[in-house]
Amino acid sequence: MKRSIAGSLSRIGERGYFLRDIGRGLKDPKTYGVETIRQMRNIGVDSLPLTIIVAAFIGAVTAFQTRYQLFGGVQLSVVGLISRQSIVLELGPLLTGLVLTGRVGARITAELGTMRVTEQIDALETLAYDPVAYLIVPRLIAAIIMLPILVIFANAIGVGTAFLTAVVATDVTGAAFSEGLRLAFAPFQIVYSLIKATLFGAAIAFFCSYEGFTTTAGAEGVGRSTAQAVVITSVAILVLDALTALLLAPYLQA
Amino acid sequence: MKKRDDVLVGLVMAVAIGVAIIGSLWLARGGLSKGYPLYAKFPWNSGLKQGQPVLLAGVNVGYVDEVELRQDGTVLTTFRVGDEYKVPQGTVATVVPNGIFGDMAIALTPRAPNRNSIPPNDTVPVGPSAPGIAQITGKADSIATSVNAITSAFEGQLVDDGGARDLRRALATSNALMINMNRLVSQFAAIAAEQNRQLTATQASFRQATSGIDSAKIDSTLRNMRETSANLATLSADFRQTSARLDSLIVKINQGTGTVGMALNDPGAYNDLRAVLHRMDSLLADVKRDPRRYINLKVF
Repeated sequence: MKRSIAGSLSRIGERGYFLRDIGRGLKDPKTYGVETIRQMRNIGVDSLPLTIIVAAFIGAVTAFQTRYQLFGGVQLSVVGLISRQSIVLELGPLLTGLVLTGRVGARITAELGTMRVTEQIDALETLAYDPVAYLIVPRLIAAIIMLPILVIFANAIGVGTAFLTAVVATDVTGAAFSEGLRLAFAPFQIVYSLIKATLFGAAIAFFCSYEGFTTTAGAEGVGRSTAQAVVITSVAILVLDALTALLLAPYLQA
Repeated sequence: MKKRDDVLVGLVMAVAIGVAIIGSLWLARGGLSKGYPLYAKFPWNSGLKQGQPVLLAGVNVGYVDEVELRQDGTVLTTFRVGDEYKVPQGTVATVVPNGIFGDMAIALTPRAPNRNSIPPNDTVPVGPSAPGIAQITGKADSIATSVNAITSAFEGQLVDDGGARDLRRALATSNALMINMNRLVSQFAAIAAEQNRQLTATQASFRQATSGIDSAKIDSTLRNMRETSANLATLSADFRQTSARLDSLIVKINQGTGTVGMALNDPGAYNDLRAVLHRMDSLLADVKRDPRRYINLKVF
């Protein structure tokens, strides 16, 4: 029991040291500046099609389900309201984060793990390069910047497909959906969504980079680290989602 | 490659930021245009918030821009109306519920069509607010409380204070009363049956008595009565004729025509008659005093 607690604390401490190294790496923009743009392309621009597809289906299903859960007598503009709130506040950021954990996080872990087991990271250290500043910081910055960008697209596409689905496939009119869409809207709801996306981006980059950076035991270790990174990051995203809601949900009312 | 990454990333970020800004503005205001401001002073607890819709005759024409709490018991509300909409003079602003989730909206209700419109930055007069979901719920709650109190009082009266026992006793008494009344009705029915029997017997006796009367005598009597009646009618006609003649005679006398009329109506004749009577009086007195002067009766 004591050994288990000590092991858990040790793992938290190791990640603390890793965070400290990232902080140190941020002081060297020349090292990570160029690489950051490349990572923004990999993490953000290349993930855009997947994000759009996921958001489109989320929006369509949300509108459809919402319409057919309403009991008789409820005005149909509620479909717009619930679709907007569901997509912007919850589904847009959360599902984008989870999907990118699989696409981006796993890739980061596999890349860094492979570099670790093939001793490329050791070679960087030998050449007096700070591997954290060169490999981790650009990914972290790119994820923190690009996740909110992707979530903006996800929200817009999700609401758009919700509108189309509601109007085309159900008896909700465009005017009713638009009315519900604008009902009780507060700009902080968008900010809340972007705060979540930023936190999720940081979690994806941090946990997946750490798992890749600390990979051992060859190719098998790379696979194990990748799987572990996806699991840890997914749980971390869900925990962060709950914490964000606990802290900020009271400010969401229009 | 590096240059292409920069462009792509920049493009994606610019589009995303544009989508976020335009989307937020569209959701909050319905577009990029701000519209023109109007003001209204609503009482406290109106439930207005920034971004709520403004309806002109039921059509969404703007949104609530700012809500300022004032110490005089009012909330100064700034709302913006789209440039393409004009609010007619005489319009009244009220706060109305919007949907079933307790959201509110400003309803602008024109009293009548008017070509003159309220200019920007003017204050719209406020009308009475419609009750919201919370007020209706509160009313329902107070009604439920009252019903509960009435039920409790009823229960107290009926159960605790022995009302139910009294009611049972009253019902038992009523039952006994009904039995007695039933008995009384039975007695009445027996009496009525006896009376009916006696009445039937009386009718039979009467029929028997009337069958014994001679109808020929009755006919003769009736005929005599009819003749008597005819004679009486003739007599009455004679009386009427005589009366008419007497009437005409009296009229003649009153008018002073004819001998009798002149005698009765002429004062000279009256005076002459008095004088004659006077003289006859003195003559009679004289005769009494000295009869021999006038009567010389000699027997031998």
